[in-house]
Amino acid sequence: MTALSIWLENTAIGVWTRESPSIWAYPTILTLHTVGLGMLVGANAIIDLRLLGFAPRLPLPSLAPLYRFMWAGFAINAITGVLLFVANATTKSTQPVFYLKLALIAAALVVTAAIRKAVARDRPSGLDSTARVMSPARLAVVSLVLWTGAIAAGRLMAYL
Amino acid sequence: MTGFAAWLASTSLSRTIVLYRWIWPLCEIIHFIGLTLVVGIAGFFDLRLMGFMKRVPVAAARDLMPFAIAGFLMNLATGATFFIGKPNQYIDNLAWWAKVFCLVLAGANAMFFETTVGARTIVVGAGEDTPRAAKVVGAVSLASWLGVLYFGRMLPYIGGAF
Repeated sequence: MTALSIWLENTAIGVWTRESPSIWAYPTILTLHTVGLGMLVGANAIIDLRLLGFAPRLPLPSLAPLYRFMWAGFAINAITGVLLFVANATTKSTQPVFYLKLALIAAALVVTAAIRKAVARDRPSGLDSTARVMSPARLAVVSLVLWTGAIAAGRLMAYL
Repeated sequence: MTGFAAWLASTSLSRTIVLYRWIWPLCEIIHFIGLTLVVGIAGFFDLRLMGFMKRVPVAAARDLMPFAIAGFLMNLATGATFFIGKPNQYIDNLAWWAKVFCLVLAGANAMFFETTVGARTIVVGAGEDTPRAAKVVGAVSLASWLGVLYFGRMLPYIGGAF
């Protein structure tokens, strides 16, 4: 693990991301990671809040395009996240809070997929919550908790 | 300005903010959650104003705006905490002034919307197009909030004050 981290940090892209004085290197990658976060978690939050009963006039099927924003946000953050990791691999690979962040994201993505399935199954007339492990509203709460946790863990990587 | 910053840094409130080392990271976490609410929910409304996601009735998209306002208030409170805690990091920082400019622009744009095209835009239903002026308002809003995010994230890199 340590050997791999050291090798990653010394790759050309790792060195450039970490050491380039250009505003387009580390600062821009970090900013894009924040934009991706806003798209991914923001779009998720809209659907979660709607499932919790807020904005009842908002038709659920009309929110389908939000999944494209989620995927775009996720793609941006997967790419920028890999770059940020590679730039400081030896530090980040030893931080427990980094693995916590990854676990929270993985769990949140599973819940996001479950919500999408649950929403697609439902008729526009209303949400049928019978014969299901978890109601969409409960999934929405879990989704909000997991994404909030991922944000917190990401922020704490600068401190722990 | 520097005198004001020096005075602010000498207050007991400022000293308390930097003394307890958990305050800063906690405020950062809240600031990022607020950021997500503002960009996600106000951004959603802006995109509808611009003519995207036409199946969404404009009034229904607006129903979520209290969450964007809550996010903004969270960030106003935590942002004030950062400023009071370390005023010298911000007062002469070009990125901070650019961020404030973008905030003022976003606010003025929202006020323009409320007092002019807002009334005839809010009644736009599913499948209908928004007035051209509303599209401009939506684009200006989205651009200014992304500007707030950009210059906020650039605070440690542009001004060199951190």
